[in-house]
Amino acid sequence: MDSQQITTLTGVLDKKMNRQLKQYLDICARCAICKDACHQYVATGDFTYLPARRAELIRQIYKKYFTKTGEFVPALYEARDPDENLLDELYESTYACTGCRRCMYYCPFSIDTAWILSVAKAILIAAGRGNEMLGQLADAAIFKSDNFDMFRDVIVSGFKDIEAELKELTGDPSAEIPVDKKGADILYVALAGAHSILPAAAIFHEAGTSWTLSMFESANYGFFFGDAEKARKIADRFMDEAVRLGVKEVVITECGHAYRVANIFHEAWTGKKHPFKVRHILEVIDEYIKDGRLKVSRCIDVPVSYHDPCQVGRNGGIFEQPRDIVRALATDFRDMTPNREQQWCCGGGGGIVAISEMDAFRLKSGKKKVEQIRATGAKIVASPCENCRLQMEGLNETEDLGVRIAAIMDLVIECMDLPGRKQAAEGA
Amino acid sequence: MSDDIKVDLELDLKGLLCPLPMVRVSQNITNVPVGGVIRAVATDPGAMADIPAWAQSTGNEIMSAGKEGSEFVFLVKRVK
Repeated sequence: MDSQQITTLTGVLDKKMNRQLKQYLDICARCAICKDACHQYVATGDFTYLPARRAELIRQIYKKYFTKTGEFVPALYEARDPDENLLDELYESTYACTGCRRCMYYCPFSIDTAWILSVAKAILIAAGRGNEMLGQLADAAIFKSDNFDMFRDVIVSGFKDIEAELKELTGDPSAEIPVDKKGADILYVALAGAHSILPAAAIFHEAGTSWTLSMFESANYGFFFGDAEKARKIADRFMDEAVRLGVKEVVITECGHAYRVANIFHEAWTGKKHPFKVRHILEVIDEYIKDGRLKVSRCIDVPVSYHDPCQVGRNGGIFEQPRDIVRALATDFRDMTPNREQQWCCGGGGGIVAISEMDAFRLKSGKKKVEQIRATGAKIVASPCENCRLQMEGLNETEDLGVRIAAIMDLVIECMDLPGRKQAAEGA
Repeated sequence: MSDDIKVDLELDLKGLLCPLPMVRVSQNITNVPVGGVIRAVATDPGAMADIPAWAQSTGNEIMSAGKEGSEFVFLVKRVK
């Protein structure tokens, strides 16, 4: 690596440097408590995935270029140039990390390794070593919004197909999926497919909500890729839409990272305060059930457990609402151990489900989740995150868990008195 | 018509939820030669925008995209 490249990469670190990052890089005591917190290290025993080791790669560059001791006596202070070997190690340990921040929870100094790895991603991208697949997915989302006129008709046509299903499900020919509705109370931001639109539409319909569906999906591969500018642009699509429509709140579908991006990062990225609230769909559904706006029966008589997605639970602060919803639907709720802030990551976050070369490793890293699910004896595992569900479906198959992995909204509509659902059940 | 075009790889993406259909096409594009064609069949309506957006942003070509019953069928040509 030539000096110009090194200057570029250390320049990225310099740009990202602030008091908090400096503290994280200075303070690690190498106690290795984080090793027992990381599902990937626990499952593999491979030091590549030890949180302190992941951060150490950035720390070595920091020592060489940001401390006098490392600059003058690099061997003594483990300072290192960002050479190709370091970038190879950094790529593997960084893009494998799901960003669950369980290591931070257990770290005596609360070192946010995921934060350090967000700097690592910026360095990898500057070196042309960002994950290609995640970059492509981010670019596709941006292309779709930059050239929206090319896609508008096909997107609206897809919504119309889902609206036909909604009329059937609710038994109400006037049921609709509103789009571009100015002055609606809620802008609902779904994923690209029908699975996150139809159940929410049925719930909003039954609750009599004033809502409109976003033209854009909530998933944000710019965030997973590690490019804050791309991530902001992807989130801007529906945030700008919310401003244009004058809604009172933006409601994010059952998705972990999209909720965290919308609720926590977007204001920081833009430097502007949102003129609306941001909530997760489960907060809304829980409120509807408790207010009596949404009638559900306790229709599930098999044991149900709940997996806290890291970006909804530990990093998003939503713990009780999903549990309360599941308790309203099921006679036998069984929490996993540990749970809430201490919940084990399932292994499917951070965009890793889209990185095919990490598939085998990803499933292996789900060892603790498999143990947790088995210990509950549950027949249904509910979780409000697409990536978590994909991972747990994979674990279900490879480990023969014999459970059903479900979105919470799907369970909710199963316990609603919907004519279309009853007809389908009778016809089956 | 797709019948007249030599398809190098068939991808069954039925049942996969977005963005996975786009992910699978992207993962498989290098499994066909430059100029080669993937025929992909998905059932998630989100694929109708996602796969063309991916193709255009990566410089590949959508030869056709359409709905056949409840399925969405794409012919994707690897350009580079």
